[in-house]
Amino acid sequence: MNDTSRRNKKDLQRLLACIPVITGPCELDLLVFFYRHPRSILTNEQLAALVGYDTKQIAHAIEAFIGAGLLERTQTSMHAARMYVLVPEGPQLGGFKTLLDLASTRQGRHDTLELLTPGRAGPPSEINAKRRLRVVA
Amino acid sequence: MPQADLVRTGIAGLDEILPGGIPRGNVILVEGTIGAGKTTLGVEFVYRGASQFDEPGIIVLFEVSPHKLFRDALGFGWDLEKLEKQDRLKIVFTTRDVLRQELQQADSVLLGEASKIGARRIFIDGVARLVGGNGTPETRSAFHVLTEGLQRENLTAVLAVEASFNDGNVNGTFAEESIADTVIRLKMEDTQRAISRSIEVVKSRGQDFQMGRHTFRIVDGQGVQVYRRVQAPRKASRDRAAAFDPDTRVPTGIPGLDELLNGGYFLGSTTVVAGISGVGKSVMALQYLSESARRGERGLMLSLDEQVPQILRNAASIGIQLEELIKNGLVHVEYEPPQEIEVDVHFHHIERLVHEFKPKRVVIDSLSTYGSTLGTGGRIFRDFFHALVALMKEEQIAAVYNHENPEMLGMASMMGEFAMSSLVDNILLMNWVEIADSFRLGLTVAKMRANPVNRVTHECEIVNGQGLRVLPRTLPAAKRPFSSYAGLVSRAPTRRPREREEGVSADGDRME
Repeated sequence: MNDTSRRNKKDLQRLLACIPVITGPCELDLLVFFYRHPRSILTNEQLAALVGYDTKQIAHAIEAFIGAGLLERTQTSMHAARMYVLVPEGPQLGGFKTLLDLASTRQGRHDTLELLTPGRAGPPSEINAKRRLRVVA
Repeated sequence: MPQADLVRTGIAGLDEILPGGIPRGNVILVEGTIGAGKTTLGVEFVYRGASQFDEPGIIVLFEVSPHKLFRDALGFGWDLEKLEKQDRLKIVFTTRDVLRQELQQADSVLLGEASKIGARRIFIDGVARLVGGNGTPETRSAFHVLTEGLQRENLTAVLAVEASFNDGNVNGTFAEESIADTVIRLKMEDTQRAISRSIEVVKSRGQDFQMGRHTFRIVDGQGVQVYRRVQAPRKASRDRAAAFDPDTRVPTGIPGLDELLNGGYFLGSTTVVAGISGVGKSVMALQYLSESARRGERGLMLSLDEQVPQILRNAASIGIQLEELIKNGLVHVEYEPPQEIEVDVHFHHIERLVHEFKPKRVVIDSLSTYGSTLGTGGRIFRDFFHALVALMKEEQIAAVYNHENPEMLGMASMMGEFAMSSLVDNILLMNWVEIADSFRLGLTVAKMRANPVNRVTHECEIVNGQGLRVLPRTLPAAKRPFSSYAGLVSRAPTRRPREREEGVSADGDRME
C-alpha cells in the first residue's frame, strides 16, 4: 500500500467515524443515491431496484437516515411512494460530501466498503437522534 | 392578449417568435429526437422563470440524475443548486408511474411541494412513456388526466417528448399534440454534411406566432438561442417609415464618380458594384468607408472573402489607415467565413451589428459568395437578400454590395444568375476593356433609380497609394480616350470614325 492510499484510508476512517449511520454497503450506496437525487418521490421497491438491495435493507437504512437527521420523508396515504429530501443542514452532511468525493471512484468505494465491518454501529433504535416523520393523510 | 397573461420564456429569440411569450397555464409539448435540445429548452424555461421573472418552478426527471443536471446546467451559467437553496426551484426525481398517480390526487406531495414554493412553471422531461401506447384512446385519456392535473395547479408546463419525424410528419405523438395547447418541434437536419437545428411552433392556442422553421443553437454559457427565420415578415416601424429621407445623398468619396451619380447614392439605397475579380470593387468599398469616416459617419464592412488583416493591408496600399478609423469607432470591419453559413444566424448577426453600431454606410463583400454558399437557384438566397435590403432601407443605410461577375471582358447581363436587379436601386458595372494590347478599366452607371444617368462607359484607373478614380472623358494626347471607341462593354470595341469621336474637333484637333 503506498502513501496516498494510506492517507486516503485514514481520511475515510475519520469520515466514517463522523457518520456512524453508514454501517454497511447498503447505507453507503443509498446515501450516495440520495446525494445525487436530493429530492425524489419513490416507493421502497423502486429504491431497492435503483440502488440494488432488497426492500428490507432499504427500509432499515432509511429509518437510520431519518433518525440521524440526514433525510426527511413525506408521504400520502393514497399510494406507496414517498418524497425523500436530503437535508442540506443535516449535522453530518459536510463530512458526507467529502466522503462522497473519496468514495466516488471505483477504488475509493472499494476502500470505503473494506472499512465498513459488520456491527460498526447499532440499529436505529440505539441511535440518539430525533425522528422526523410527517404523514399527510 | 394582455402582456400580464403571457409567460415570458426568457429564452433568447423564442419570445420573438411567440410574441411576448406563451399564454399562462398552457401545456407546452416539446418534441424532438435524441439530442435535439428538449431538456435544455425545458430546463432553461424553468431556470429563467425562477431567476429572471420571479416565477419559481419544478423540474421533474425520470432518468437523468439531478446531480448531473446541476453539473450540465453550470455549463450554461445556470446555478440550479443555488436556486434550490433559495426555494425558487425544486428538482424532483421520480418514476412515470408515481407521477401519474401524483397528478391524479388532490394531496399529491409533488403538487404540495410546488405549492410550498409558489411554483408557476414546471418541466417534465420524458413524457411519452408516461402515457404509454400510441394514439390509442387510453393514451389520449392518460395524457388528458396529466394535463388536467397540471392545469388544476395553474402551472405553465413544458413536457418533453421524444419523437421522430418522417417527411415533416411526427411519429407517435398525435394524441398528445391534439391535447396540448402549444406544440414546439425541435429538429436536427442534415444540410450538406453539416447538421443544423431548427425549432418550429406548430400550434399555440390563444395566440398568434411566427410560423415556419427557425434556426436555433445551444450556446455555451448562455443556453438556447433562437434565430427568427430570415423569410419571416418584419414588423414595419411607423416611426421609421415617417423618418424616411428621400433626398439626402451619400457621396462615394471616389474622385469623378459622384459627378456621374449627381452627388452620390441616396440614403437607404441599395447599390451593386458588379465586375470580375481584380477590377477594383474592394478598392471602391474601402474608399466609400473612408469617405464615411471623413464625414464623421460610421461605416460597416462585412467581408466573406478576405480576413481583416488583409483588408487593413489593402487599405494601407491605397493610403487609407483603416486601423486608425476602426480604433476611433468610425469603421467596423468583420470577416465571416462563408463555409456552412446558417442564414438565419448570419442575418441575426448583421441585424445586431446594424442596431448596435448604427452605421450610415454598409459594404458587403461579396454577394456572389453568398450565392455560392446558399445557392442562387432556390428561394433561400433571394429571401435572404430581400431581408437584407429591407433591413438596410429601414435603417436608412446606403448599402453597397460587391458582386463578382465571372465574365472577364464585357457582360452578358448585369447580375448574371442572381436575377435580382429589380431589388437593386443602383448598378455599377466594372469591366476590363481590351484596347490594342492592354486592358483598361471601364465603369458604367447602368442603373440609378430616381436619378437620370447617361449610361456612358468611363475609364477608371487605380493609382497606388490613392485608390480608384474615374477619368474625364477627354484625356491627354498620348492616350486615346474611351470616347474614341464604340462597343466597349460588348467585348468588341471598335474605333469610331474621327468626326464622331467625342472631344475631337472637325479638323481633327483634340479638344481638352
